[in-house]
Amino acid sequence: MDTWTLLLEGFATALQPIYLLWALLGVLLGTAVGVLPGIGPAMTVALLLPITYSLEPTAAFIVFAGIYYGGMYGGSTTSILLNTPGESASIVTALEGNRMARAGRGAAALATAAIGSFIAGTIATVLLTLLAPVVARFAVSLGPADYFALMVIAFLTVGALLGDSAWRGMVSLSIGLFIGLIGVDTLTGQARFTLGIPQLGDGIDVVLVAVGLFALGEALYVGSRLRNGEIPIIPITRGWRTWMRRSDWARSWKPWLRGAGIGFPIGSIPAGGADVATFLSYATERSLAKPEYRKQFGKGAIEGVAGPESANNAAAAGVLVPLLTLGIPTTATAAIILSAFQSYGIQPGPRLFDTQPALVWALIASLYIGNTLLLVLNLPLVGMWVKLLQIPRPYLYAGILVFAGLGAYAANFTVFDIGVLLVLGVLGFFMRRLGFPIAPLVVGAILGPMAEEQLRKAMQIGQGDPSYLVQSPFSIVAYVAMALIIVLALWLKRRRARFEAALPAADTTAIAAIDEEIESHEPHPQPDRGRLSTTALPRVDRDPDRPEDDRRD
Amino acid sequence: MSTATSAGATPSGASAASRSARIEAMAFVGLIALLSIAVLIATTTIREPPGSTNTLGARVVPYAVGGLMLVSAIAVLIGQLRGRFGHAEEGEDIDLEHGTSWGSTGVVVLSFLSLMLTIPHLGWPLGVTILFTGASLALGAKRWWVAVLIGLALGVVTQVVFGTLLGLSLPATGTLTSWIGL
Repeated sequence: MDTWTLLLEGFATALQPIYLLWALLGVLLGTAVGVLPGIGPAMTVALLLPITYSLEPTAAFIVFAGIYYGGMYGGSTTSILLNTPGESASIVTALEGNRMARAGRGAAALATAAIGSFIAGTIATVLLTLLAPVVARFAVSLGPADYFALMVIAFLTVGALLGDSAWRGMVSLSIGLFIGLIGVDTLTGQARFTLGIPQLGDGIDVVLVAVGLFALGEALYVGSRLRNGEIPIIPITRGWRTWMRRSDWARSWKPWLRGAGIGFPIGSIPAGGADVATFLSYATERSLAKPEYRKQFGKGAIEGVAGPESANNAAAAGVLVPLLTLGIPTTATAAIILSAFQSYGIQPGPRLFDTQPALVWALIASLYIGNTLLLVLNLPLVGMWVKLLQIPRPYLYAGILVFAGLGAYAANFTVFDIGVLLVLGVLGFFMRRLGFPIAPLVVGAILGPMAEEQLRKAMQIGQGDPSYLVQSPFSIVAYVAMALIIVLALWLKRRRARFEAALPAADTTAIAAIDEEIESHEPHPQPDRGRLSTTALPRVDRDPDRPEDDRRD
Repeated sequence: MSTATSAGATPSGASAASRSARIEAMAFVGLIALLSIAVLIATTTIREPPGSTNTLGARVVPYAVGGLMLVSAIAVLIGQLRGRFGHAEEGEDIDLEHGTSWGSTGVVVLSFLSLMLTIPHLGWPLGVTILFTGASLALGAKRWWVAVLIGLALGVVTQVVFGTLLGLSLPATGTLTSWIGL
């Protein structure tokens, strides 16, 4: 029950008006930046790192919690409503949601994504509340060798599982580790790879790595291939109360719960991040769906939005378990949040719950608050978010450059960092062009120095005998688990690639046809479908004369 | 996935990579391999203070990192020789069917680089104005005066929010604009 007392104290902190205001700000910022196309959660957090220079820790982490969850919500809105020509996105949830929207069910897709994210996010936050203190208590007994094992797992899973091939991930990881090595070695005081430049003596600030690779690199890359002309936004209906039909609720609630159950555990182990969770949830929902609904998969099945969206959010909460209790980030976003902690001189890990209980529990409480705020804000305000999609791209990406410059300059207030940022940005630009994943680099640069420190401590205890690294039962279990995770995840990845390659392009009338067919023998057919849809969308039976291609361009 | 269809009509997207893309990929990985060799050589020059025999010195991890970089770069290089090239990243705003506009990318890079001069000499708000104007015009903004106005507004707003309200020491004016007197 101790946990609950602490959590209540956390709520007492987080519910103070000023912190509520910060939570609201974080949620709004996170959603706004998340909705903007091409900006993922990692870039959102990276761009907003400079606020940590001037806020007190509790306020800053409440803002970050809001940004973290808000970015997830915002991203799904974009992928559902943005009618990108050709393949919209590789993430399965975007696919089903986008096809639902094209068939006039965009509102339902948005609603099931938002409510599912809320439910799964809340369940996962409860699990985090219960699990984190237990893990932290256990983790106190871990030695340096065990930590080193955990970090090796984080490196290798992030490196091997993201991107086109494992070796490309390893190249990215090793560049990141190298960036982490630059600077004066803390243990021996020797300069490493500084090329005699005094500004490099303190190493390259992780803010520069995150902002350079995610914000600047992305802006340069998109800028070099900016799509000409506007991307049409799929219209949605007004009146959010009637968004979901009774059958939508009936088809959604089980995927929500299953998504939470799949997402949280996968998020909390290093297994390649939320992508694995969303795909597993999608595959589960497809195989569990009734046959008549199953043929709707790939053509806008609501289960295919509800499940993966929930899994995605639950995984986001799961990622916080190793981050807060062990100090191990398993995704790029988590690595950037870790660096935000470090910029306050706070080291996440088992002792965090003892040394900073007020901060941790306020952070966890603000996760509940942020999640609720998001549900309240997002459903009614979706029209406002959609407007953000219409920002002219030249101004959008120029604005990203401004904030990247702000982040770089504010790190140390030297223009030298602007140059470093540009070098990293150009590196990120070429890595994106040539199919190298970015996340391993960022994780390597942030976690690398910590891993070296643990390795050296372990070697000191083991008196230079490398076999000490694999002597504790925990480290043996960890390395075996790592091998299993990598093999399993690579297999899953291949399956997903094959699945996505085999996916046929569905045309809107076919989607609408199958939707109406299912509706016709629903136990509770809802006749207000026509009222909910906008007129520009394809109808199958009611007006067959309408040219079928007017919604697709 | 979609790259196969967007990179060309061939069934395997990898072999559809154009000649210039293949050269670029080989050059990039070649540079990484060179970097790894440089890392390994530079590591030999890191001074090891005497007397730390049974713990890890300052060189061990750099050797391991350089080695990992070399091995993985060679592995990717071999893969590319066999025709396995990476897929360019996709996104909502990214058009993979048309070529890269190097000109506008260059202008964007230069606009960003201009901050190194403009922040100390002109101050933050004007530096932002120049960066924003240059970058948005290069990316296809139609009216230059709109870009200037938005850039100036962004510069002033960030100066007020981050400089005045949040207390970051952003220079409002630089050595050339100190006569403005703020």
